[in-house]
Amino acid sequence: MTFTDQNNFGLQCKDVSHWFGETKVLFNLNLDVHAGQFVALVGPSGCGKSTLLRAILGTHPPHRGKILTMQNGRLANADRPGRDRGIVYQKYSLYPFLTALDNVALGLKLDQTTTSFRWFNWSGWSKKRSDFRDQAAAFLKKVGLGQAMNLYPSQMSGGMQQRVAIAQALIMEPEIILLDEPFGALDEATREELQEMLLRLYEENAEIKAAGEKPPYTLIIVTHELNEAIRVGDRLVGLSQYWDWKSEGHECSPGATVVYDKSAPVFRSDERPEYELFDDMRKEIRKYVYNPEVLQHCHEHVIVNPTH
Amino acid sequence: MLGVLSVLILLAGYTFVSHRQHQINPEDTTIPNWSQLSEGVKKFTQINRKGERWIVEDSIATGRRFFYGIGLGLVCGFLTGVLMGCFSPVEAFLQPPIALLAKVPQTAALAVYFVAFGTGMSMYVAMISLGIIPALAVTVYLAIKDLPSEMIDKAYTLGASHFEVVLEVILKQVLPKFIDAVRLAIGPAIVFLIAAEMVVGDVGFGYRIRLQFKLTNMNVVYPYLVMLASFGFALDYGLRFLQARFCPWYQRDLK
Repeated sequence: MTFTDQNNFGLQCKDVSHWFGETKVLFNLNLDVHAGQFVALVGPSGCGKSTLLRAILGTHPPHRGKILTMQNGRLANADRPGRDRGIVYQKYSLYPFLTALDNVALGLKLDQTTTSFRWFNWSGWSKKRSDFRDQAAAFLKKVGLGQAMNLYPSQMSGGMQQRVAIAQALIMEPEIILLDEPFGALDEATREELQEMLLRLYEENAEIKAAGEKPPYTLIIVTHELNEAIRVGDRLVGLSQYWDWKSEGHECSPGATVVYDKSAPVFRSDERPEYELFDDMRKEIRKYVYNPEVLQHCHEHVIVNPTH
Repeated sequence: MLGVLSVLILLAGYTFVSHRQHQINPEDTTIPNWSQLSEGVKKFTQINRKGERWIVEDSIATGRRFFYGIGLGLVCGFLTGVLMGCFSPVEAFLQPPIALLAKVPQTAALAVYFVAFGTGMSMYVAMISLGIIPALAVTVYLAIKDLPSEMIDKAYTLGASHFEVVLEVILKQVLPKFIDAVRLAIGPAIVFLIAAEMVVGDVGFGYRIRLQFKLTNMNVVYPYLVMLASFGFALDYGLRFLQARFCPWYQRDLK
């Protein structure tokens, strides 16, 4: 099947609403993500970015609306975590009892073998295990960690841990990878290195897409750093509770929704970011997404499915 | 080096105190000197009228009671903790009795065990295992509750089944903490066992120590205490070795 934007959804959120008791969090949120897109999700703190991410992950399904992800070649309800979605957390991203290599190989092991196979078919399992480890080693080399394969997470720096965590998610070849403030705890230089790593994945996507195939990497990255969002994402989605809900007939704020959705400039991984050039975009996002004084109509800055 | 020195000082101090005591009373047996001690050792290693050596029959009796009791306690404590940690109904059901049981002093409850289980092996096993189950179960249960939910959610995104999440993610992280808890449980277990043997035993370390103490044969009592201490120390060392062998990451974590 040839790849087209239209038939390759990584994710569909349809009229998603969520609330915690009296506190309304998400309201009628619609978001379609196509295979190959790098979506940067931004928004003021408390706007429900994490709630949305957990809803997509399936640990906390939304109270109303539907979240569909590509599962076994068709869109299906994402009401529990599954191997079609990868996750990279800011903390607790790795298993402390496994080395970098085994952390990455863990997914292959859990996904492709069963406990009874591992217990009762020793020769088969040892063969598979070395096979999995080879694959994991190749992935670690790809993210620049060929030297650190046998280190435990406690022996690694924060940046190394996040690289391993990304490799751990990538090796499963999920339809979509969710990154929840993945570089929030890292210093500026390490952040930029890791952003470059993501941009290299985007370049790989572009090559494969150019060949008419389905691009392998689809990302949603939640970040509070606008520069990071603009640099890594090819699409910026702003989630905000500050929109003109009064004109829609609500008496109190019904929750956050997508108020901003535009394509972002694409950068090469070897390109030094010139953050001054991001100024206009940052200002626009600050105004429409972050500023509680500016209440625009909720569809005013949403260009659904922006073309690249 | 300093450790060896401290042991040497201890031995020298004992020799001095014993020597002074024997100057006052040459027949003293409360602080036996070295020749009296070697007599004592001879006493419990020689073959007696029944054709047995005390040390052998005591070791076998006490050892069997200890390992049966602690073995059952380990298995039950671990399983209880895992069930409490993984299933909230079990947690709600078992938390009050476990908390209550943990507060009952086992040595004070000896009478209850004698009444319920007699004075045979089953009494020792029940007493030791019930004595250590609460502490072990609570340790395992809290260790599971301490695991961040992110780690469990992530395992599902890596294709794990429920069973695999328990086995590959939860239990592997609980194991080193469980070994720590077992190390701590060995002390109380020996206390319970010796106390019970002192009261109703007809063979075993507790029985022998009580009997020889009544005869003021401290030259037997002291070597027995040293053997008990060495036993506890060896077990502790073995468990630490197992922990380092099977959970190398945990040791690194502590550094």
